[in-house]
Amino acid sequence: MRKLLFLLLVGLQSVYAQQTLLLDTYGSYNSTGVRRQVADAFFYGGLIDTSQINRSLANLNQRNTFGLQMGLNAQWQTPWLVSKDSKKWGSSFRWVLGAGFYQYAGLQFSKDLFGLVFRGGLPYAGDTLDLSNLRAEAAIFSKIGFGIFNPETKSSFLLHLVSVQQQLGASIQKGTWLQDQSTAQIDLALNGKAAIIASAAKTFGVALDIDYRFGASDSTDNQQQFQLLIQNLGVARSAQTTTYQLDGALAYGGYSLAAWQQTSLEELTSGFLDSLGYQQSVGPSWVLLPAQIRLSKTLAWDSPQRLEAYYGAQFMLRQTYTPLIYAGAQLKVKKAWHTGLGMAYGGFGGLRLQAYSAFRFKRSELLLRSDNIALQNGASLYLQFRCDF
Amino acid sequence: MKQMRCLRILIIALSFFSCKKEATRWQTDWLLPVLNDTLSLAHLYNDSTLVTSNNQIDINLSRTLLDLSLSDIVKIPDTAITQQYQSNFTVNNVTPGFVFVNNVKVHELDLGDIQLKKVRVLSGQIQLKVYNPLNTGVMYQIELPGVSKNGQVFIQNYTVPPGTVQHPTVATENINLSGYDIDLSGQQGLEFNQLQSKLTLKTDPSGETVSIYNNQVFKFEASFKNLRFDYAKGYFGSALIAGQEQFTLPYLDKITSGNIALPDLSLDLQIENGFKMALRTQIESLNATNTQGQAISLSAPSIGPSMYLAPAVGTWNSLQPSTLTLHFDQNNSNIKSYLENLGAFQQVSYQLQANPWGNTAAGHDEAFAHSRLRLKVSAQMPMALSADGLTLQDTFALNLKQDLSKSHITGATVVLNATNAFPLACDLVLYFMKDGQILHTVVADAQLASALMGQIDPADGLLKKKSKIQIVLPPALVADIQDLNEIAVTATFATTDPNTGLAVQQHIQANAFLALQLQLQLQTQIRP
Repeated sequence: MRKLLFLLLVGLQSVYAQQTLLLDTYGSYNSTGVRRQVADAFFYGGLIDTSQINRSLANLNQRNTFGLQMGLNAQWQTPWLVSKDSKKWGSSFRWVLGAGFYQYAGLQFSKDLFGLVFRGGLPYAGDTLDLSNLRAEAAIFSKIGFGIFNPETKSSFLLHLVSVQQQLGASIQKGTWLQDQSTAQIDLALNGKAAIIASAAKTFGVALDIDYRFGASDSTDNQQQFQLLIQNLGVARSAQTTTYQLDGALAYGGYSLAAWQQTSLEELTSGFLDSLGYQQSVGPSWVLLPAQIRLSKTLAWDSPQRLEAYYGAQFMLRQTYTPLIYAGAQLKVKKAWHTGLGMAYGGFGGLRLQAYSAFRFKRSELLLRSDNIALQNGASLYLQFRCDF
Repeated sequence: MKQMRCLRILIIALSFFSCKKEATRWQTDWLLPVLNDTLSLAHLYNDSTLVTSNNQIDINLSRTLLDLSLSDIVKIPDTAITQQYQSNFTVNNVTPGFVFVNNVKVHELDLGDIQLKKVRVLSGQIQLKVYNPLNTGVMYQIELPGVSKNGQVFIQNYTVPPGTVQHPTVATENINLSGYDIDLSGQQGLEFNQLQSKLTLKTDPSGETVSIYNNQVFKFEASFKNLRFDYAKGYFGSALIAGQEQFTLPYLDKITSGNIALPDLSLDLQIENGFKMALRTQIESLNATNTQGQAISLSAPSIGPSMYLAPAVGTWNSLQPSTLTLHFDQNNSNIKSYLENLGAFQQVSYQLQANPWGNTAAGHDEAFAHSRLRLKVSAQMPMALSADGLTLQDTFALNLKQDLSKSHITGATVVLNATNAFPLACDLVLYFMKDGQILHTVVADAQLASALMGQIDPADGLLKKKSKIQIVLPPALVADIQDLNEIAVTATFATTDPNTGLAVQQHIQANAFLALQLQLQLQTQIRP
């Protein structure tokens, strides 16, 4: 990351033609039921209070979602034309360099699983817990690439080389936990699998970023302009993916004295795993990156309307992500300050309040946005910066 | 300026990726089954016979303290015999197939005062080694006239390739002697400990004509190794077998205090002579020491003086050992005090001497495959006792490591659900120690109740009582757990009458058991 910033700063100081630096950073986490204080403890540390766990449990449905997205995306739109020959199509495009770092984590889980993890098994003695339909997806990756963009339409196309630092895909299709109240016997049945790529696995791939603007060519009239933004559409190849499988049932009610005397703890653990049908294998695999696809109405600084609606929808190529839709209205407070207020639904959470403010300076623009200004079951902050020089 | 402004904004953006200051953690509660077992007397006395009588249990305790077989009494040490031939002068023109040696040699075995006439080999082997210094092949025939199997005398033939004086050709063979009879009575049948060998040498019939010089030594070596016998006849000597045997009675070594009262009982010490020879025996002492170091000796008229056993009678299948039983009861000994001392460490000193009057049987001592000299102790007693504060203590190594900076246990409670069909109540105390020093003492919140406090279960007709005991391990103990290295468990038993509150003698029910379910309630701090 430091090297990337260094390169960008060097670029800033060495080029004096019309060029643009775009920075887009964001961090967002949300849940359909888990309270923000629970998630905050994972980000900022601290004790997760029992009352927060109980209040989260009260909010949870049988199926729930929690997710996290963080990222930093940078683009340097260079002054260099793809072709200096005005007759060629390349004369309309300039070269662009891009880089980014992303983290995605999504979790679908049952209420019972949340309770088992955060309260333990004792409060549920005598109850059958449903651990089914657990799905966990996580990825950390970075990219660097180049492409072309059209200064007039703002459309761009970039091809990136991707390095995946970590990747997790895990699911439990069917799982139950029952602990007998009197004997404490644990009956556990699990059917699931997981694939993990560690940071040392050397996983590389390619990804496309496409920013396509369409609709009215001039947004200053009443016609609408739209943006189709596709980020991180690509695949990576891992040489060493560790795959785990479980398909079995375990009934553990304690051992006899003879068993404790004659068997080591390692052998007992191994016996547990055998009962659960544990298997592990290592091999190459393909990884589908968590591509993000957004279709939205764009808002122009020069629009004559003081009050204007905005809306859009966002998808991700991940099963743990629910399509996000949002809509709202923008108010031009001043010529250089636009602000908007709206609602968002989906992603990793439910209905929530969204707001943003955009500021325009002489040669730069700054946008601050939150998709969850009420901090309901999560938090969200987007920062976009554009600098022309 | 423009670049500086961009840089400032960049720094603000990066500040969103702030560092975590404190570990994420939360508390969970778990219930972990640890032990699920049913203990019966079979677990406690698996080397004894339990006899059910009138819905009560009698213990038939039997221990063999000494068990000597023929191989322990009569031994032939590993022995090598050699027979050789060396010509006194040079013999020229020795034609092929010429027999030039045909000698018998008698070897005396050094067996001390044992005089054997005949033995049969149970296991063991002989290694034969022959040396040929002649420059033509030589046929060796080795015969052991007194050694036979199924009537066939032991004969081995070897053709040994040519050799030289400096480097004679050597042929070696190992032969299993199991099942061979060895007659040690010599050529006339009147001697003892005598082994014969006969060496015959013949030049190779298809070889060359050679000369035999006086520096050429033709020899064979026979090494008897690891011989064990299942039959022996002769005089077995009058060696003295004196010794001390020690044995430990189970669980008594864990008793640290308290009293126990046992019902009237008796103890038998039996000496068995399965050899056809006279035997002198002497039980010098029988001592018991308990865990407090208190020792007691068994006093009885039969402890101390020598006693004599007649030879066994019969032969292979009809052998009848002669036996001598020393009976100890309340009338002739202090056996009750002896056993109530709860001596875990028992020691018996004895002397056994074969043929105390010498070779009076004229070399007709005999022993067979199943001949034994045995010293056995046996006791039969009703399984009944009166315990008053009888305290058993055992110490176990403790090696529980946990890293407080990771997920760890913050509190624990041991939960014991028990069903007791024994007439014993039990109080439990745990001592957690570091290098022998007690750092934490934890007392169970309740008593494991005696079956006397319960009711008869119509399902099996047993009197039984259920108990639930909780032993709370305080947070201070759990915090120290990684520093502790020993745990001592103290169990204090009492056969208290529920009506009088006094310790009374209680009989153990037939099929009595103690069913245990041990669970751990753990409070854990999870730190992902």
